[in-house]
Amino acid sequence: MGRWRLVLGILGVLVVLYGVVNLGLHIPIQTLAWVAVWLVAAVIIHQGLVSPIVIGVSSLLRRLIPDRGRRYLQAALIMAVPVTVIAIPMIYRQGSQPPSKALLLQNFTANLGLLLGVIAALCLVGYAMRVARDRSPARGGPPST
Amino acid sequence: MHPPGTAEQPTGTASGPPTRPRWWPSFSSTIRSTALTARLGRALAIAISISLVTGLLSLYQYEPWTWLPAPASPAWGYRVTQGVHVAVGTATIPLVLVKLWSVYPNVFRWPPFPSVKRVLERLSLAILVGSMLLQLITGFLNVLNWYPFPWDFVSVHHYLAYVVVGSVLLHIGVKLPDIRYGLQTKLPEGDVLTERPWNENPESHSIAGDLPAPVTPGISRRGVLTAAGVGIGIVVVTTIGQALTPLERIGLLAARQPSKGPQGVPVNRTAEEAQVSAATIAADWTLQIDGPRPYRLTLAEIEQQAVHEARIPVAAVEGWSIDASWRGLRLLDVVERAGGNANSHVRVVSFGVGGFRRSQIFGPQLSGALLATHLNGERLSLDHGYPLRLMAPNRPELLNTKWVSQIEVL
Repeated sequence: MGRWRLVLGILGVLVVLYGVVNLGLHIPIQTLAWVAVWLVAAVIIHQGLVSPIVIGVSSLLRRLIPDRGRRYLQAALIMAVPVTVIAIPMIYRQGSQPPSKALLLQNFTANLGLLLGVIAALCLVGYAMRVARDRSPARGGPPST
Repeated sequence: MHPPGTAEQPTGTASGPPTRPRWWPSFSSTIRSTALTARLGRALAIAISISLVTGLLSLYQYEPWTWLPAPASPAWGYRVTQGVHVAVGTATIPLVLVKLWSVYPNVFRWPPFPSVKRVLERLSLAILVGSMLLQLITGFLNVLNWYPFPWDFVSVHHYLAYVVVGSVLLHIGVKLPDIRYGLQTKLPEGDVLTERPWNENPESHSIAGDLPAPVTPGISRRGVLTAAGVGIGIVVVTTIGQALTPLERIGLLAARQPSKGPQGVPVNRTAEEAQVSAATIAADWTLQIDGPRPYRLTLAEIEQQAVHEARIPVAAVEGWSIDASWRGLRLLDVVERAGGNANSHVRVVSFGVGGFRRSQIFGPQLSGALLATHLNGERLSLDHGYPLRLMAPNRPELLNTKWVSQIEVL
């Protein structure tokens, strides 16, 4: 395994250098500085803002919502994130393009609402089925969580 | 059990990890595990590999090598590869976010910079995370025709891809023992991933021996993977309709709705953007053909000779595509009359202004190309390139030059 690690490491560094050298050769230095600013900003915004918010929300859920219901709420939120992340820039840009491009013509706010509604409904049905199953006499009464 | 000799060397002992400030963040959730991260990482590695291959294919389509002309068959080739590139890239955005969430406690290892090796690793991770996020975000913004960044998208997207891929290779090399442990361990049984490295954590299998699987009171690790998979699946299904026509109707998050374009095909670059107006096209407009035997064709002659029909999908670099029927002259016939042949390199020039004013075509695409006058049974609209546009099979939309004014047999 040690040899593989070394090969992957060296190859990785060489490929990174190839990219960096070509960026340097093909992009003006001032423009490249902007790329670096965006790159650093992406790390700071994600690690310093987005992640703490997610951790904060999940910690709050852990304190406030009982385990059984929380599972379904967590599932719903995890499913909602990909959809929302993709929809937000589209909502911001909808209607900004000439109609002949057939681009961003939809009402993405409504579409996002519809998708989130479907996700919420699915998880609610799942939760209701779980509650009903736990209450069923055949199961010998509800579990603690 | 975590193997010995992973990238993370002990910075303390099993009995006593290094002292850290009381305010230092700690993570108690049992949901995170190297077993979970390794599975997410595997999916990510597959996605990045697909994006790299399809991205390089697109680059080759835009700048084919003289000794290896771009093929014309299958006509839907670029439609598939670029559709996959954009769909996988879009799906990778949430996938990366989940992967980063799964390892977030690692940011808070104590001490943060114990050795030069660790500092270098952190730096390489910052480059990996930053370049990956930048690559995905700007790629998605390009799909939306949104350019809030002050650089040429194509060049930076191309060369930054090597930074991303190289950083991933380096990361895999560094983490190989952890990846092996993660993939070999059953998902519910894997050690909990906290801010404390496994070799400093008294509750890790490596130190405590056989342990029962950690209890996950909320959602299970399997649940996280399933929910993330369903969420990403919804994104793919609701965006892919811009390339996969039968799914266009459920494309709730599809940026383009190809069938809503004029004449059933969207326009990438409008006549207004190319500064072309009906007034620009003079009544005595002619097509200039340069070569060993130069000549001109009038609009009437072109329309008289436009009898060849072909079904050629329109496929754009932004990932959208749609099948279309075209009518026009065979470009090769026009080239041969000027003294060229199927082996010629031909430059097609537009009277539009700005990027992609001219393109070169040669090899199989030349033989299969039309100088189109009609789209889906109607005379080309101005936005689609009236009076004449190039249309070749398996060729990116932007290279199918619109508003053609001149053909040069090189």
